[in-house]
Amino acid sequence: MSLLKEPDLGTPARVGEATVDVEIDGQHVRVPEGTSVMRAAALAGIDIPKLCATDSLEPFGSCRLCLVEVEGGRGTPASCTTPVAPGMRVHTQTPKLDKLRKGVMELYISDHPLECLTCSANGDCELQDMAGVVGLREVRYGFEGENHFDAPKDTSNPYFDFDASKCIACSRCVRACGEVQGTFALTISGRGFDSKVTAGNGESFLDSECVSCGACVQACPTATLQERSVVELGMPNRTVLTTCAYCGVGCSFKAEMRGDEVVRMVPYKDGGANEGHSCVKGRFAFGYASHPDRVMKPMIRERITDPWREVSWEEAISYTAQRMRDIQDRHGVGAVGGITSSRCTNEEVYVVQKMVRAAFGNNNVDTCARVCHSPTGYGLKQTYGTSAGTQDFKSVAKADVIVVIGANPTDGHPVFGSRMKRRLREGAKLIVVDPRRIDLVRSPHVEATHHLQLAPGTNVAVVNAMAHVVVTEGLVDRDFVAERCEGFAEWAAFIARPEHSPEAVEQITGVPAAELRAAARLYATAPNAAIYYGLGVTEHSQGSTMVMGMANLAMACGNIGRDGVGVNPLRGQNNVQGSCDMGSFPHELPGYRHVSDDAVRTVFETLWGRTLLAEPGLRIPNMFDAAIEGSFRALFVHGEDIAQSDPNTKHVTAALSAMELVVVQDLFLNETSKFAHVFLPGTSFLEKDGTFTNAERRINRVRPVMAPKTGKHEWQIVCEIAQAMGYPMHYDDSSQIMDEIAITTPTFAGVSFRKLDEVGSIQWPCNDAAPEGTPIMHVDGFVRGKGRFIETTYVPTEERSTRRFPLILTTGRILSQYNVGAQTRRTPNVAWHPEDLLELHPHDAEVRGISDGDLVTLASRVGETSLRARITDRMPVGVVYTTFHHPVTGANVVTTENSDWATNCPEYKVTAVQVGLKQVSVATNELSTSALAD
Amino acid sequence: MEALPYVRLANEIAVQFRHWEPGEAAAEIAAHLRSFWDPRMRTQLIAHVEAGGAGLDVLIIDVVALLREQKVH
Amino acid sequence: MNSPVTVYVPRDSAARSVGADDVAALIEGAAIAAERPIRLVRNGSRGALWLEPLVEVETPAGRIAYGPVNPEDVDGLIAAGMLDGAPHDLRLGRTEDIPFLRDQTRVTFARVGVTDPLSADDYLAHGGLAGLRRALELTREQVVAEVTESGLRGRGGAGFPTGIKWNTVRNATADLKFVCCNADEGDSGTFADRMLMEGDPFTLIEGMAIAAYAVGASEGYIYIRSEYPDAVATVRQAIEIAYAHGWLGERIFGSDLSFDLFVRVGAGAYICGEETSMLESLEGKRGMVRAKPPIPALQGLFGKPTVVNNVLSLASVPMILADGAAAFAAHGVGRSRGTQVFQLAGNIARGGIVETDFGITLGDLVERFGGGTRTGRPVRAVQVGGPLGAYLPVSQLDLPMDYEAFAAAGAMVGHGGVVVFDDTVDMAAQARFAMEFCAAESCGKCTPCRVGAVRGVEVIDRIVAGQDRSKNLVVLNDLCDLMTEGSLCAMGGLTPLPVRSALQHFPDDFGGEQ
Repeated sequence: MSLLKEPDLGTPARVGEATVDVEIDGQHVRVPEGTSVMRAAALAGIDIPKLCATDSLEPFGSCRLCLVEVEGGRGTPASCTTPVAPGMRVHTQTPKLDKLRKGVMELYISDHPLECLTCSANGDCELQDMAGVVGLREVRYGFEGENHFDAPKDTSNPYFDFDASKCIACSRCVRACGEVQGTFALTISGRGFDSKVTAGNGESFLDSECVSCGACVQACPTATLQERSVVELGMPNRTVLTTCAYCGVGCSFKAEMRGDEVVRMVPYKDGGANEGHSCVKGRFAFGYASHPDRVMKPMIRERITDPWREVSWEEAISYTAQRMRDIQDRHGVGAVGGITSSRCTNEEVYVVQKMVRAAFGNNNVDTCARVCHSPTGYGLKQTYGTSAGTQDFKSVAKADVIVVIGANPTDGHPVFGSRMKRRLREGAKLIVVDPRRIDLVRSPHVEATHHLQLAPGTNVAVVNAMAHVVVTEGLVDRDFVAERCEGFAEWAAFIARPEHSPEAVEQITGVPAAELRAAARLYATAPNAAIYYGLGVTEHSQGSTMVMGMANLAMACGNIGRDGVGVNPLRGQNNVQGSCDMGSFPHELPGYRHVSDDAVRTVFETLWGRTLLAEPGLRIPNMFDAAIEGSFRALFVHGEDIAQSDPNTKHVTAALSAMELVVVQDLFLNETSKFAHVFLPGTSFLEKDGTFTNAERRINRVRPVMAPKTGKHEWQIVCEIAQAMGYPMHYDDSSQIMDEIAITTPTFAGVSFRKLDEVGSIQWPCNDAAPEGTPIMHVDGFVRGKGRFIETTYVPTEERSTRRFPLILTTGRILSQYNVGAQTRRTPNVAWHPEDLLELHPHDAEVRGISDGDLVTLASRVGETSLRARITDRMPVGVVYTTFHHPVTGANVVTTENSDWATNCPEYKVTAVQVGLKQVSVATNELSTSALAD
Repeated sequence: MEALPYVRLANEIAVQFRHWEPGEAAAEIAAHLRSFWDPRMRTQLIAHVEAGGAGLDVLIIDVVALLREQKVH
Repeated sequence: MNSPVTVYVPRDSAARSVGADDVAALIEGAAIAAERPIRLVRNGSRGALWLEPLVEVETPAGRIAYGPVNPEDVDGLIAAGMLDGAPHDLRLGRTEDIPFLRDQTRVTFARVGVTDPLSADDYLAHGGLAGLRRALELTREQVVAEVTESGLRGRGGAGFPTGIKWNTVRNATADLKFVCCNADEGDSGTFADRMLMEGDPFTLIEGMAIAAYAVGASEGYIYIRSEYPDAVATVRQAIEIAYAHGWLGERIFGSDLSFDLFVRVGAGAYICGEETSMLESLEGKRGMVRAKPPIPALQGLFGKPTVVNNVLSLASVPMILADGAAAFAAHGVGRSRGTQVFQLAGNIARGGIVETDFGITLGDLVERFGGGTRTGRPVRAVQVGGPLGAYLPVSQLDLPMDYEAFAAAGAMVGHGGVVVFDDTVDMAAQARFAMEFCAAESCGKCTPCRVGAVRGVEVIDRIVAGQDRSKNLVVLNDLCDLMTEGSLCAMGGLTPLPVRSALQHFPDDFGGEQ
C-alpha cells in the first residue's frame, strides 16, 4: 500500500516474442503470450476489480472478485489466473458478474470490522476501494455471525503491526514473503474460516524467521499489516522519490511525508535496482536522521582534550581554511589531505576531491573504498579495462549457475539476495565459496550444489584450481578466448601447472579436490554462469590477485559480455561505486584516469584554473604512516569513521593523535571525532540533493525531502572551505556539479539531473555511444580492447595461525545493522542485533570451556577485545567470526596492518587470534600482556 | 620491532612477483610504484636502499635502481 | 483328507472391523484341534458387507460361503463340517451364486475377494500383468488410443476422459513426468478405493505402470488418506513385492519403461482429495487448491506434467489393455462406458460394493441390490456422489446411473457412493450439514467457500428458525449462486448441490412462514 498510486496491472508481465490479440469489452489489445486476461484488460485501460492480485506476485485466484465471462467458455473464470488465448472475447462487466462481485464483497465485509473512519488505512485501503467499486450497499448476513473481530494483534515488530482482525486471508503477505523476499517466514495456518496468517511456527513476527523486509506490509491490501508510523502519525500527504543510503544495491524509495516528517519509506516499483522490494534498513531504519544525537551546529576545539565549542559556520569554515593553509605553509603542500565518503553523493565526493586537488594542491585524496573494494578497481581495470562490475542486477535472472564468493548477499545486499534466491528457486545452480556456512548454502527452497568451505586466505588457490580444471579438462571457450582476449597461451601454461591442481591445493585450501573439480565443471559448462563476490574476496593480502583470478576464470569460460554472466562485485556502501568514479583515489582523476595522463590533467587544469600534480598522492594507510612519521599533519575526513572501521585501531589512533588538525564532517560524533579539532555537521540522505551510483553502475537521484537540518549542504561547506583557502569554487546548486562531471568525464558525458529525472536512472557509461547508458559491459569488446589474462600466483598471507594464536578470525555483516552501526544503532533495528557476537565452532568452544553466551576475550598479536560467544556449526573448526557494528566490540582492535599488495586494502578477513573465557583471568592476562608487548 | 611501512609494503609486492623473471618483475614493480605510490614513499625507499636496505627483499633493490634511473631522467 | 483345505477369511478392514481377525485365528485353532490341516488365505472382501466376516471354504463344488461368521460361531461351524462345505445356518451356498454378487459385472473388482491380495502367483494366475505386457508391445500412442477408445472416464467424480488427459501429458515435453494416484477417498459413503487397494493392489500398480509407459513418466505416487492404515500397509507391501518381481523399477520386462512408485500418506484433510490440493500436499506443502490453468497434466507435481487419476480409473486400465478397448466399451450407456463400482451405504439393508454397467437405475441399486433401508422404513432420500452430491427424492429413483442423465437432473454420479435415508431424515439438517461440511473442510483459499460456507450455515439456521424466511431464502439462493459460479474448486462449487436439492425436493423440512 502506498500513497503515490503506482499502476498495478494485477499480474506480472510475461515476456516473449509471441503475442496474442484479444478483445476485452469490445477493445482489442495485443499482449505477450501467457499474459493474464486481467493484465491485458489493465493494459487496455480496463480495471477489473481485484483483491488478491497484484503485479508483484504470481496470480493466486483466491478472492474471486476478478471473475469475467469469456464468450464460448464455461462459467466465470478468474481473470488473474486465466491466460489470454487468440481470438478470445472477454466481458468484464455484466449483470451476472456485478452480482457475483457484490456477493464476494458482501462476504468479505461480513467478517471485517466496520471501523473505516478510525482505521489507519482509511483512504489507502483496497478493501474499502473495492466495496465502492462493486457498489456494495448492504451486508445481508449481518455482523452477528462467526467473525474474527477479536483476533489478537501482533505488535512485536518495532516497525509494523499485524492486526489479524482486519485480515482478509488473501495471502498476499504470505506470497510476498516467499516469492519476493524468499524467506518463507509466513504461512496460512488452519483451514477454512480458521485460516490465518502465521509467522514461523506460530511465534510472534519478531521471534520468527521474519527479516522485516516489509514486503508483506507492502503487499497487504488492508490495514492488517501496517507501518506503526502510519498508525501513529497518520497518512502522509506528499511523496518524494529518492534513493536509499544504506548498501550498494541502491534501492529506489518513495519518501512519504507529512509536512517535514517522514512517515514511511515505500519501495518504488519502477526502481531499476529493487523493482519494488526493500530490506529492513532501507524500508524502516531511517529514524537516525532525526535522532537527538545528531549534531546540528559546527564545533571547534584547540586540543582534542578540550571540550567542543559551538561556533558559526563562518567561524568553522575560516578556522579550518586558516589552519590548513598554516600547516601547508609550515610543512609543505603535501602535509594535508582528505578522505571522501562513499556514503555521500557523487556531487559531494566530486567537490571534496576537487578541493584536495585544486585548493590543497596535492593528490592526497582517498576514500573508504580503499578498505573495501579497491582491489576490485585494480583487478578489473587490469583485466577488463574498467573498475566496475560487468552486469546489471537483473542479469542474475538469466544465470544458470551462480557462484558466490566471499559475499553474504542475504545479509549484506538483501534486496539483491532476494533476486538471486528467486533465480535459485527457479532452478539455477549455486556454488558458494566461503569459510562460513552462510544462509544461502541452505535456506528455504535454496541449496548450494557445492559449498567450497575454504580456509580463510586461500581464495586465490581455489580460483586457480578451478581455472586449472577448466584448462586441463578442455572446458575453455576457445572461440571467445581467441576472439576477445590476449595473453591466454602464457596464462594457460601457467595455470595448467600441476601445483595448481585441485589435488595439489587441497591441503592448503581444505576444499576436497573432487568437490572443487565438480564445481569448476559446473561453472564452465553452464550456458550462463555468473560470479558475485564481496569483501571476502577483496579484503585479503591477495585481494587484487583474486579479482584478477576470477576475471581470468570468467574469460576462459566465455562468461562475459551478455545477460546472465559476468564478474560482479557486491559493493558495500551506497555510493562506493560513485565515490571511486568521482576520482577519489590518489592516483586517479574522475573516470579512473591516471593523474600522470597529461591530456586528462589538461581538461581539469583548464576548467579548474590550477596546475595539478602528475604524481599520485597518499592512500589512507600511507597517510597514517606518514602522520606517525611526521610528514602528514592535517586530514579532512568526510563521513567516515576511520577510527572504528579501519584495521589496527591502535595504529590509526596513534596517527590521528599525531596530526595537528583533524576535520570531521559527519552526522554524529564518533570514534574519529574523538581525535578531531573541527566538527562540521553533515546532512542525512533525506536532506541531500544529488546522485548515488550503485553496484551495477546505476546512477540514481537522491532528492531532498527537507531542507538541510544543519542549514548548509555538505558540498556548499566544502566549496566555502576551498574559497576561504583562496581557491574560488562555487555552484548554484548540485546539478551544476553533475554538469561539470559530465563535461570532464567521458563515461558521464550524457548524465544530467534533467535526464535522470526523465528516465529514472542511468547506468554508466552514458555518452554519445550509449545515450541510454550501459546495463551490461564488454558486450562486443572489452573496455581495454582485448580482455587480458594475468597470471595469478597464490602467495599465502603472512598472517597464519600459531600456537599462541591458533584460530583465524574473519569478519562480516548482519542484515539488520550497517557497517559501524552509526545509523542502524540509532534505530529500533537493535531489536535484532543488540551486540556483536563471536561465532565459533562447537569443537573450538568445547576445548576452551566456552558455552553459548559466555563473555570471551578475542586477542591477536596487535590487541585484545571481548564479546559474547555464539556456538554454531556454521563455522568450520579453527575459524571464528564476528561483525563490527558496535564500537564497544572493537573488532578492529585485533585486525592487523596486513594489506592487499596492490592497493593496500586491509586484510580484515584473516587475523590469527586466540579466544578464551573472560573469567579465566590468569590465562587472559598472560595473553593480553604479551599482545601488548609486541 | 615493526618493519618500516614502505619496507613492509614493498616486500609485500615483491613476494607477488617472485615467480617472474627477475628483470621483468623489477620493471613491473617499478611501474606499479610509480603509478600508485606517493613520491615521498618512493624517496624514502630509495634512501633506505642507499642506507643499506635493511630488511628489504632483494628484488626491491633492483626496483629501486630502476626508480632512481627514472628520477635521473 | 490329507491335503489342506483352503479357507478364506477377508483381511479387508471392513471385515476386520467386525471380527475377521478373531474369526481367522479361531478357525486355525479349531482346525488344529480337529486335526484338519487348512491353508488360510486372507483375501480381499467380496463386497457384501452385511455378510462380513464372510468365510469361504474351497470345495470340489467351488467356494462355499458362510456368513456373517462371529467368533462364537466358529466351533459350531467346524463341528458342523464347514471345512467340507457342510450345511449350517450361516451357509450361503456357492459364493458366486449369492444374488448380490451373482448379479454384478465384476471388471475392475474382478479379483477383489477372489485372490490373496499379496500373492504374486495368485495375481498372475488370475490374469494379472496381461495388460502391462500388452501395453509394452504397443507404442505409447497406441496405449493412449486404447484407453481413449475404451471411453474410460475419471472415476474420482469429475468424469473427465482418461485418454484425453493422458494424451495431454504424453504430448508435454519435460525432463520428468509423474503419475499420481488419488487415493484420498474422503467422500461419505465411499470405500471402493480402499477395498481395491486392500483387495487387489497389484491391479493398481499395473495400471499406474501402464499409465507411466503411455505418458513417458518415470515416477509415481499413491496418495492414500491417513484414515486407511490397512490400505497403506497393503499397498506398500505390494510395491515391495512388485519390485522384487521386476514389475517396478528399471527397465520393466526388459522394455524401456523404468518406473518407481511410492506411497504418500495424507494428513486428514478432505480437500486433499481435490487433485491440485493433493499435488500441493505431495510436494510437502499445506493442502491448498491451485488455480487452473495451468492444468496438472501440463504443470502438476513439482511443476512437471502429471497424470492424476483416481484408484478405480487406474485399476480399470489393465483390463482395458488386456481385453481391448472394445471389451470395456461394450459395457455402459451413452457416454458413460464400462462398469462403475457403486458403493451402497447409509441406511441400507445390504450395504457394500456393486460393480455393474452404467445405466442401471438408482432404484435398482437401492432396492434390488440394497434391499431398501436397514430400518425397514420407507426410503425418503438418496444422496449420490458423496457429501457434495445432490439429494434425490424417491420420485427420481428411476434415474439411470449415467453422468449425463445425472447432470441433467442437477445431480452427479461422482465416485459412485450411494447413501440412503429413510423417512425420519430432516432434510434441512442435511442441507445445513452440507454447508457445515464445507466450512469444516474448505482449504480457506477462496472467499465464496471460506466465508460463504460459514454464512450458509447461519442463513439456513435463520430460515429454519423462521427469521426473515423469505429474505433469507433469497440470500441463500444468492449465496448458492456465488459458491457455484465463483468458487475456485469443486468443494465450494458443489456444496450448493445438496443444499439446493434438499430445498427443492423437501421444502417442507425448512419450515413455513410463521
